[in-house]
Amino acid sequence: MLFFLGTATSSAQKLKFLIPDAAIGQYAGSIGYFSIGAGYEIFKNKKGYLDFNYGYVPASKGGELHVATVKLAYKPFEIKLSDWGKLYPFNPGFFLSYTFHEDLAFRFHSDEYPRGYYYWSPALRPHLSVSNEIELSMAKIWKEELGIKRVGIYTEFNTNDFYLANYFQNVSSLSLSDVFQLGIGIRLKF
Amino acid sequence: MHIGKIYKRNSIILFLFYISIFSCKNIEYSPNQIFDRNSYRDINANNLKKLGTGSQDDTVRFVVTGDTQEWYDETVKFYKTVNSIPGVDFVIVAGDVTEFGTLKEMQWLAEKLANLNVPYVSVIGNHDLTSRGRDAFIRMYGELNYSFVYGGVKFICHDTNSREYQFNGNVPDIPWLKKELQHEDGVSSYVAISHVPPISPDFDQKLVKDYAAIFDETPGFLTSFHGHTHNFEEFKLGSSPTPYVITSAVGKREFLLVEIINNKLSFEQISF
Repeated sequence: MLFFLGTATSSAQKLKFLIPDAAIGQYAGSIGYFSIGAGYEIFKNKKGYLDFNYGYVPASKGGELHVATVKLAYKPFEIKLSDWGKLYPFNPGFFLSYTFHEDLAFRFHSDEYPRGYYYWSPALRPHLSVSNEIELSMAKIWKEELGIKRVGIYTEFNTNDFYLANYFQNVSSLSLSDVFQLGIGIRLKF
Repeated sequence: MHIGKIYKRNSIILFLFYISIFSCKNIEYSPNQIFDRNSYRDINANNLKKLGTGSQDDTVRFVVTGDTQEWYDETVKFYKTVNSIPGVDFVIVAGDVTEFGTLKEMQWLAEKLANLNVPYVSVIGNHDLTSRGRDAFIRMYGELNYSFVYGGVKFICHDTNSREYQFNGNVPDIPWLKKELQHEDGVSSYVAISHVPPISPDFDQKLVKDYAAIFDETPGFLTSFHGHTHNFEEFKLGSSPTPYVITSAVGKREFLLVEIINNKLSFEQISF
């Protein structure tokens, strides 16, 4: 019995890394009308973000879609605004989105198209992103622990392989603001 | 001044700058969404309303282009060239208004083509049927098979992208074409416009015979225009009398200026 409890505790400790460091809610940003997710602070310096999001687009907002996203980002700069807030002004990242819809296959069927006919994946999209985040230290604001230590509010701009391919071929008629899309989100950090 | 302070101030300026260049137009829910708050709707129907019936027009002059795909820079040059040609009644884009079938690409193109001085209509291409493109196209432009009459000429715009339907035998829609090409009062000649030409392996080869027969048997049928191959070509199918013409692509900086006078069709290749 003791032995069993002992192994249970140690495996629980081993699995502790699975507990997310943050809960995420995001509006737009190409991964859903609204998406929710679990975030992890990664690397030794905790400056990396690894997020898993599920997003939904209702029929009334552009046709019903379900989207799964894995995001990776890094916060190289940190600016202390005051003792209750920090700004992370420029956080580059990369993410993959997968959209679930009957019109969107992982790839074009090889028995319907000659090899190389269409060269991209309809459902899987690679994105490049850059975000900025204002982080509020809740302990300083609320004066007490409420389970949420810090709250980050971020805006994220992203583009994808489709838009970049178009942009690089049309630098005079398309602008960066044509190809970069905006999302706004909140990170509740435990 | 302390270096950290400069850094901090510059970062805040940078931050404000890159927030300010974006607007609500950049709010995107998914690259696969088929419409948004700003996307165009029913362009074909709206432009045909502007075009009118041309009942007093005895010289029907129009431009046939296609395959704009990833060529927005060239599209800008295209509309400027067309705007400089006098007497053009309208423009037809013979399919592939996108590379990847996305709403954004359709929107970018429609924003460029909105600068044309004359109305334009688009016909669906195979690229526009990938991903959610079909639904985005229907909402932005309209039906995939449609027709209109201008100056006594009936224009039959239709979907010939058979491969995108796994060659199911319904594309092109033969019964629909038959119905559209029946004799009609006030119509003296007919022109067909579609994306994939019948000589392409992307056209349902089981339907080529019936397709050609409909055109051959229609009195006053002038020409069938296509895109897809990106190369200008004029051909006939076997002993069939109907001329088929493939317009070049916008990317090749070429289009066709077509003129119909007294039921006679002639065209000119224009480079820009």
